[in-house]
Amino acid sequence: MLVADLRIAWLSLVEHRRRALFLGGAISGVTMLLVLLTSLSTGVRTTLIETATTLSTGHVNVGGFFKVTGGMAIPAVTHASKVVEVATEAVPELEFAVQRGRGWAKLVSATGSMQAGIGGIDIGSEQRFRRALSIVDGSLDGLEEPGTILLFREQADKLGVRAGDALTISAQTTRGVNNTVDCRVAAIAKDVGMLSKFNVFIPAASLRELYQYRPDTTGAVQLYVRGDAVDDLGPITARLRTALQDAGYGVMDPDDRPFWMKFDTVSRQAWTGQKLDVTTWEGELSFLTWTLSAIDGLSWVLLVILVAIVIAGIMNTMWIAIRERTREIGTLRAIGMQRVNVVRMLLLESVLLGLFGALLGAGMGAGLASLITSAHLEVPLAVQLFLMSDEVRLIAEPGAVLRAVLLLTAVTGLAALQPALRAARLRPVDAMSHFG
Amino acid sequence: MTSTSADGPIVSLVDATKDYALGSTVVHALRGATLEVPRGAFMSIVGPSGSGKTTLLNLIGCVDRPTSGRVTVDGRDTSKLRERELTRLRLHTIGFIFQSFNLVHVLDVFRNVELPLLLQGQLGARARRERTLALLDRVGLSDHIKHRPSELSGGQRQRVAIARALVTRPKLVLADEPTANLDSATGESILDLMKDLNRDDHTTFIFSTHDARVMAHASSRVYIEDGRVASIEESADGSPAVAAGRMPAPVTPSADPG
Repeated sequence: MLVADLRIAWLSLVEHRRRALFLGGAISGVTMLLVLLTSLSTGVRTTLIETATTLSTGHVNVGGFFKVTGGMAIPAVTHASKVVEVATEAVPELEFAVQRGRGWAKLVSATGSMQAGIGGIDIGSEQRFRRALSIVDGSLDGLEEPGTILLFREQADKLGVRAGDALTISAQTTRGVNNTVDCRVAAIAKDVGMLSKFNVFIPAASLRELYQYRPDTTGAVQLYVRGDAVDDLGPITARLRTALQDAGYGVMDPDDRPFWMKFDTVSRQAWTGQKLDVTTWEGELSFLTWTLSAIDGLSWVLLVILVAIVIAGIMNTMWIAIRERTREIGTLRAIGMQRVNVVRMLLLESVLLGLFGALLGAGMGAGLASLITSAHLEVPLAVQLFLMSDEVRLIAEPGAVLRAVLLLTAVTGLAALQPALRAARLRPVDAMSHFG
Repeated sequence: MTSTSADGPIVSLVDATKDYALGSTVVHALRGATLEVPRGAFMSIVGPSGSGKTTLLNLIGCVDRPTSGRVTVDGRDTSKLRERELTRLRLHTIGFIFQSFNLVHVLDVFRNVELPLLLQGQLGARARRERTLALLDRVGLSDHIKHRPSELSGGQRQRVAIARALVTRPKLVLADEPTANLDSATGESILDLMKDLNRDDHTTFIFSTHDARVMAHASSRVYIEDGRVASIEESADGSPAVAAGRMPAPVTPSADPG
């Protein structure tokens, strides 16, 4: 029976090929757009995670504040090597850990100045740093020497410097005294959106010198875990908090904000000394994830509009198709086709159309996404802030493409449901008007 | 389920009426028809346009229900059957031949004829193919199995419709003006084919017509007037009662309440 339904459904589509092509084309277009939108969202998310979890956060971070007095909070972790030891024991999912100095300073060149977040890195121990950045001038190896700095292109343009040029970094030490460090620009990297807007990197030793930290003090210990553990960091952070408390550390309450948003809160608190703060990359980047939410929200709005158009189009087309085929449906009912089979036959027709249209659209969408990404299209600065990259990156995940195909096919089928039910309810004698 | 009787009439109508609402007007299409059709009959329903013969066929074919009265097909009271059971009754017991052929235009000749067997779902592909091809051979369309209905003449299309009606080996075949859209020679050949099938397979045929030449082929004729069975004329030996082209004198049936 299904064979007969499928055959009639398929042949009806072939018979009315102009209508089928028009509607199938619309479904293809919507599917393609959906795939492109999800690819954009995935691309931005992936770029964000890849870049941000390299430049400014680990998957899990043990940061915190050191307070000499009640009102002055310094983003520092003392005795960092002990923290690494505790973390290594508490987190078996750990792949590697790096230490990052944290600070805020003024950069002064011969022609300009700017405020920036300072990251102190040990480039030799950074396993992902080189992969995340694309150097356009100089070399990252230069950062192995103290008194060097890594800038991003827009910052370098603003300061009017190139690799090899001199800069002065000025900041307030923990004792409230202004200190400066002279640096040479070791490398200039391509911009990576909002993350490269306010961050620069200097060797960890230079950062300690600038803030006059002890050798075992850092800004945060960034922990990188195995791929399968990244999606569920809750248990890891809970375990880590407990382990740190057991090791005698004061640990701050969970707070899903980046560390630089916590200064006010921490400064208002009366405690002094060291408190550690266990955070995840999602918390540290919560100020950026609105970008993803905006893209996802826009995608949903577009999707709803497009799906509504598809539903209206399909329902309208099905009404026309059913009106044209009323006598045929009446005949089929008269010779013994059950109502449920009439519904199935008409739904199959619609689902077949939806499936072929969606498959075609998904293929085109995935192909176009790949083409756009491989073309390395540069985007304007304003757009870079949202895309977290200076070029468009679209990632068509097989699962997302499959979901788009299934969604559009299901929507197409559902749109045909009401017309199909109405057709099935026709009495054979009414449907075969000539018979009366 | 009502048991069927192999000896009883294939169709029985008792005081069947059918009213249609036409705006605020009620049209009495059938005003109390009583009729019994024996198994193996080759019966014509005769009457002018609007007399109610198509409505009568609709009730017998279970594509419509009577407003009042009783219609029994193969021993089953159709008023007591649900829609699903009525559809099953049509599929397994009744074959339909329509005036306008009503073939599924997207299917070729073979698929059109095979369709009721697929709906029944009882035979395998091979058995379906054998039975379909045998029937197409019998109606003289073996060479046209791949043709679409639009590629056939009117007579060929009606032969396809006959093959489709017979492929499930129904007990009853209903034909509504089966020759109305055919020229006289083709109409004659279609009627000859139906008679052959009636004689060889003892399939009951009931067909409506207002063409005197066509009704002359029937072994019994039911005359409908103003929604009532006005008379029934039987041939004593089952052969055509009168020569083609002459309208027979009606006989008022004693069973007719109207």
